[in-house]
Order: sequence, then C-alpha cells, then structure tokens
Amino acid sequence: MRILLVEDSPRLSRNIATALRRTGYAVDAAADGEEGLWLAESHDYDAIILDIMLPKRDGLEVLRTLRARGRPVHVLLLTARDTVADRVTGLQAGADDYLVKPFALDELLARVQALCRRAYGTKQTKLVIADLEIDASARIVTRDGRPVELTAREYQLLEYLARRRGEVVSRAEIEEHNYDGQVDPMSNVVDSAVCSLRKKIAISDSSAPLIHTRRGLGYVLEATA
Amino acid sequence: MKSLRRQLTRELSGVLAVLFGLALFGLYLVMYHKLTRSFDAALEARALGVSALVEQENGRVEVDFSDKILRGFAAGRARHYFELRDTRAAMIARSPSLQESFLPRPPVGATEKALYWNLTLPNGRAGRAVVFLFRPKSADSRPGAVTMLAELVVAVDRKNFDETLGGLLAAVAGCGGLLLAAVFFVVPRVLRRGLVPLAQLGELAARIDAGSLAARFSAEDLPAELRPIAGRLNDLLARLETSFERERRFSADLAHELRTPLAELRSLAECALKWPEARDPEADRDTLAIAVQMETLVTRLLTLARGERGQLLAQCEAVALAPFVAAVWRPFAARAQARGLRVEFAVAVAEAPADPVLLRSLLANLFDNAVDYTPPAGEIIITGNAAGKLQVANTAPDLTPEDVAKLFDRFWRKEAARTGGEHAGLGLNLARTFATAMGWQLTVARECGRLVFTLAAEEKRNGF
Repeated sequence: MRILLVEDSPRLSRNIATALRRTGYAVDAAADGEEGLWLAESHDYDAIILDIMLPKRDGLEVLRTLRARGRPVHVLLLTARDTVADRVTGLQAGADDYLVKPFALDELLARVQALCRRAYGTKQTKLVIADLEIDASARIVTRDGRPVELTAREYQLLEYLARRRGEVVSRAEIEEHNYDGQVDPMSNVVDSAVCSLRKKIAISDSSAPLIHTRRGLGYVLEATA
Repeated sequence: MKSLRRQLTRELSGVLAVLFGLALFGLYLVMYHKLTRSFDAALEARALGVSALVEQENGRVEVDFSDKILRGFAAGRARHYFELRDTRAAMIARSPSLQESFLPRPPVGATEKALYWNLTLPNGRAGRAVVFLFRPKSADSRPGAVTMLAELVVAVDRKNFDETLGGLLAAVAGCGGLLLAAVFFVVPRVLRRGLVPLAQLGELAARIDAGSLAARFSAEDLPAELRPIAGRLNDLLARLETSFERERRFSADLAHELRTPLAELRSLAECALKWPEARDPEADRDTLAIAVQMETLVTRLLTLARGERGQLLAQCEAVALAPFVAAVWRPFAARAQARGLRVEFAVAVAEAPADPVLLRSLLANLFDNAVDYTPPAGEIIITGNAAGKLQVANTAPDLTPEDVAKLFDRFWRKEAARTGGEHAGLGLNLARTFATAMGWQLTVARECGRLVFTLAAEEKRNGF
C-alpha cells in the first residue's frame, strides 16, 4: 500500500512517515500543497494524508482540485481545525475521513488501513485463500492454522496480492503500491520480495504454491495453478 | 415595556375621539340654533297673525277674534295663548285658551323688536313665547289722529320642538358613540398593519446570531422610514462579522499553534514506545525544540494578555536612541548580510523616554521580521530623526493593502501555513503592546513597495 503524506511540519511528517513505513506502507512525503498535488497526480496512491493549512496551496484546495480532476483516491484530512464547521467543509470538499491533531498514532494507522481496504472495494478484514488466512485488522497471517512470520513489507505485499486475488498483478503495479520514492526503480526489489514471501508461506513441503508467476506479465495469488 | 404601537394607538384614538366629539358638538349647536330660529320665525308669524286682528278706534283697542282664524287659541285643548295689553300692562284681550290663568310676564320690558323666551304654560307644559310692542291698525285715517301702542305676548307649546331637539341630540350622541367605537376598532388595526414592516425587520434581526452574521437586510423592500435603520444595522453587522471573523481566526490559529506541537510530541513519544529498537537520534533534539517553541508561545500569549489587561508596567527612562538602536541591530546585521540585503542605517542623536527592556524587544521583533521577510536583494532602511521618531522600512513587494491591515492581528502570517519556524505571528502584536505600555505608538504603512513601521513617543509625553 502506498501512501502520500502532505504535512508542512517537518517533525510531524517525519514521525508519521516512520510509523507508516514501520507498519509496512510505502510513504511519499510532501511539505507543501503544490508538491502534494503534483505527487498525487503523478502516482496512484492507495490513500492520501492531507494537512489543511499548507504553504503555497491550501489542503482543501488540493483536495478540491483532485476531485475536480476525477481522482477517486481516498483522502484523510489531518488538521488542527476541530470545529464542526471545519469538519463539514473538509468532508464536503471530498475527504473520506477527518482526524484532528493531536491524535493517537494507532488511530491514524487504523483509519489509514480502513481507507486502503476501501480502496479495494471491500470491508472484509479476513482474507482466505485455500489454507492461507490473512487477518487484516490484526495483521496476522496463518497457514493451515500455523502462524507465518512476515516483515511489515512482506505482509503488505501479501495483503495487496490477496486483495487482488485471481488477478495478474504486474511488477510495476506492485512497485507503485508497495514501494515509495526511496526505492531505486532499477532494482529487482519486487522479485526478491516475492521470492522471500513465497518461501515464508510455504510452511511445509506439502504446502501448495499460492503465488504463481505469469511470465512477462507479473504475479497472481490463487489457490490453483 | 414601552410599545410604540400601544402609544400610537392610545394617542391617535384619544385625539380622534376628541376631534369627533368637538365636530359633533359643533354640528349639534348649529342645528339647535337653526331649529330654534325657524321655530321662533313660526312663532313670530303666528304673533303677527294675531296682531293683524287688532284694531283701534277712538282710543280703544279691539280684537276681531275669530276661532276660524285663530283655531289654536280657542278654549279646550288649545296649545297656543296670547295676551294683549296696553303700555301700562292693563289687559286688553286674551285668548280663550287661557281661561282663568295668566301668562308669566316677560323677563324684560317689551320693545317693538320681538323678544323670545321660554316659559311654563298655564297647562303646566313647557312653552316658548314672543312679546313685542306694535301699533294696531286704526279705523281713523285722518292725519294727526292719535294712535296708541299695544303689547302682544304669544306663547305656544314647545313639546314637539323639544322632542325634535331631543331626537337631534340622540342622533348626534349615537353617531358619536359609533364613531368612537369605530376609532377604537380601526386605529389599532390600521397601526398594526402599518407597523408590519417594523415587526418584520425585528423578526429578521431576531433570527441573526453568531452563525449568520453574513446576512444583510434588503433595503429595497422596506419603507423609506426604515431604510436608514436597515442601513445602520447592515453596517453594524458588517463590523460584527469582521470582528467575529477575527476572533474565530484567532481561536483557530491558537488551536493550530498549540495542537501541532502537541501532535508532534505525541507522535514522537508513540513512535519511540512502539518501535524502541529504532529510536531516532533526532528525537531528543526535536522534543527540546518543541518544548522551546511552546514555551515561547505561552510566554508571548501571557505577555499579550497582561498588556491587554494593562498589567504590563513600563519603567521609562531617557534612552539615547542612536547607540541603543545600533546595539539592537548589531546581531541582525550579519544575518542581513548573509541574505544579501542592502541596509541603510541613519538614526540621528535623540533622547526619548522608554523602557530599555521593552524597546529592545520591540526593535528586535521589527528587525527580525525585516531580515527574514525581505526578499533577496531587497533593502532595509532604519532611520531616526532628532524628535525621536524611528522608522524601520523594508522591501515587501508581495504585501497587499489588505495584508497590511491584518499585520497586527494575532497569528496572522502572509502564508496560511504556520507550522514550525521562528515566527509564530505574535511578534507584531506584542511589539504594539510594548509600545502602548511605554506610551508610544507603533503604526504601519505601505509606501512605494516598502513596508514602513513608524515608532514614536505619543505627543503629550514627547520630550518629557
């Protein structure tokens, strides 16, 4: 899952980005409205965390511009403005959620997770593919009833593939949704991540392979080959 | 509570009632006079009829009385009476209707001019009488024949006349009563209808609250008398809207200024607790910076609050401005140079009464803003005249007149975003509070693309 964070306080931006990355999200950060709008238009983000009072371009203006240009991306407004009128204005401008500063980090992460879930048109928190079970709210993966230990990044990759089960997901799409601007686009980071994930979910020799390679196209997660 | 409608109703009803009463009373008087005159004319005609029957011959006066001619004077149920006397009041003749009784004597002596008065008739009823002296026609037509005067009193029953007058009075009183009722019925209703626009204006005004200050009264729909009121109300609303907007902005800004560092602090702590193994070496420095930022904010807000309550006491002494301003400027000179700003410094030798601590803080604030906000290659001009008036001017091409008007608003900054950085948007407000505490005036103007702050001791204390 790839998130855009538009926040002008460098300290807050750094903390939120750290928290999101540690949870497994790919994060791009922008410090003003113009950079935020440019990034939002040039990448396909799963969710945007947007401050309202921003230099150069107001957060609400960025949001309205995005909506006017038909970008359906899910937006969470993160702002110090706490009146009912402010919330109403924010939601009417096209925001999907509204969180007032100061906030609990866990709440922010939960709300971002909910927005990402919505991005794939489902509210389900439990994903089941054959004997593989993913609990998206607790972020726990089990296979055949046995827990599978994954890093945050691997988990994100697995959840992304699971949410698009049965579909061929290209390397570019995985890169777009699971890696931020900090990753070298020429690296084979996707292939090695898929390889490592395959190893971890193959808990025994009898485990059926779930992630299949479609040569030249990408990967697909499904129960049968 | 004093009510315009009730007062108008009371006064209008009272005035109309009195006017109608006077008009009806006048009408009654005129009618009374007319009726009496025509009654008297009829009475006189009857008396003349009687007088025409009187003749004199050889010093004797006789009445050629005939019931046929004077039907009403006959005995029985007669209503008319007459008495004919000579000038010595000796009875000559009297109507048969009088029988044994006599008519009361007239209140004053008779003349040839008819005199009318009211009396009680022998039958006990009210009557009216006429008396006059006349010369009965004479059978002796010789020239120089002596003729004598006779006094004729004719009285008639006035019952019908009194009834007519009574009817007139009743009609007038009835009309008066009806008019009075109409006045009390119509006036309040007419006034209520007439005052509807006032009530509507009141209702509209009652609906306005803090959330709907953008509403304005439409003067076109109002009567001419209410338009000035609506205009004044609109002006008041505009002023209220501006000050409410300013307060709202202040609250929002204050919330932002406090919430953002709190959010930073909280997220820092939560990250450190959640992932203790990946502790950011910058975290402690950040925590300290946030604490310093919040401390500065709170200190400034407290100072402002004290200044607003008049608790900020300045200890003024004579300050030599030229060396003082130069000393305050010194630390900023290097920063200005680093930013490539052109600086002009010309403060004349002058003394002014000032609190050195407050003046230092005030000037530092102006210099700090000038150095930070002047665009690259811009200029800063610091001048002071012999009267002790100081000016700090800097290039500010982007500031609009609206911006200049808001410069002293708390938390105002040209850029909507305010997080972090040295400027919290309280400095100028604080500078002005300091100036006021010292009895100085700090004003701002925009001249030729420059922002000019002028600082001067107020007239009355100038030169102490």
